[in-house]
Amino acid sequence: MVLAKDVEIEGNRVLCGKGTELTPAIIERFQRMDVSHVTVAGRPVPEEGGKTLKEQVHDVEQRFAKVRHIKPLMYLKKRIQQRLIDSRAAGSQKAEDADAGSAGQEAGGDHG
Amino acid sequence: MPARPAKKQGAIMVEPELTAEQQKKRDNIRKALREVKNLPTLPGIVSKLTRMADDPDTSTDQMGKLISKDHILAAKLLKLVNSAFYGFPQRISSLNSAIILLGFNVIKSLIISASIFELMEEQDVELWEHSLGCAVICNVVAKRLEINDPEEVSTAGLIHDLGKVAIKMELPRESAEVAALVESAEINRFEAEQRVLGLEHAEVGGWLAKSWNLPAKLVEPIRCHHDPASADNEPLVSAIVHFADIMIRGLGYGHGRDIWVPPLQPRAWELLRFKAADIDEILDEVEEKLWDVKGFSLDIKAEAATTATKG
Repeated sequence: MVLAKDVEIEGNRVLCGKGTELTPAIIERFQRMDVSHVTVAGRPVPEEGGKTLKEQVHDVEQRFAKVRHIKPLMYLKKRIQQRLIDSRAAGSQKAEDADAGSAGQEAGGDHG
Repeated sequence: MPARPAKKQGAIMVEPELTAEQQKKRDNIRKALREVKNLPTLPGIVSKLTRMADDPDTSTDQMGKLISKDHILAAKLLKLVNSAFYGFPQRISSLNSAIILLGFNVIKSLIISASIFELMEEQDVELWEHSLGCAVICNVVAKRLEINDPEEVSTAGLIHDLGKVAIKMELPRESAEVAALVESAEINRFEAEQRVLGLEHAEVGGWLAKSWNLPAKLVEPIRCHHDPASADNEPLVSAIVHFADIMIRGLGYGHGRDIWVPPLQPRAWELLRFKAADIDEILDEVEEKLWDVKGFSLDIKAEAATTATKG
């Protein structure tokens, strides 16, 4: 797993920079320093609730169920769904890239 | 149930016609909320700050000193100021800089929200995250529309659901009834509140904000966030909060079983003058900041857990 954002501690000091590969030693250090969470690239850990892409897209459909007659909101719905699809696609591509030895990742994922 | 169109021009919500019995109930609830016992009271420091602000001889330094007397409050204030909701490029490490950058009104409302959110964090993490997310979108939209004081718009987003906290605290039985109706009838919370209480949280929040003498720039967006066309003085800020509430719900930051994206008011959409490309760009800007919201929320929870362990 690679850090997608700097890990900062009190006083705005950077404890660990963006792009660092997380190792057990670094994670242990975070724990010692009371770092509660970090942002990692891609989606290396399952999302909260472990929903599939299909379920997530369906959830968005549900949320917008009462406003199907409102055009701008239908556009918003489509874009939110598309972003979910794209981020999953980017995540899988990046996982493949990482397997192949490349670590260029952008999408944010939260690892508590 | 007979229904009449909402009284405001361009509104798409429909308000139910109240029977005499419902009207009586509504009046009783208003009375109960006016004679509040459990509602969060204005922290003493705010009245002191108000007095200081009215005095032309008061300096920023004096105000900073007063706030810093309450260490916990000062820390929370700086945490909020430095969070994604305000989006300052540089970290603000002193209260004086925060006062200069945000202005007195925002500091005052932040102190109030810090107190309210203390209760919210304990009671309702989802509402907390919904409100933080709404503040983030308000900030992005306000800057995009080049509004003066985008920080004030963020603050309005942060406390737009103030009325929900008030209802939950003062009328717990009715609040549970509202939550049950949201689930059984699959309706928005404000519709359920109208049916159970005869009034909804936006009205309660607006009334409470007014009673705390918050600036009109905050009171109206709170009161009108479901119906920005009814805003007399701040229609644009009300429209921004209305839209941000919709977008954050669309992104999955709803409140309990109330997952529904509420209708977009045509008048609000006219005021915002957004095109499809704006929606895409706003989503782009908001996405990363929403990770900060999750982080902020996790920090607060971790702090609460540490405090509880120490206590």
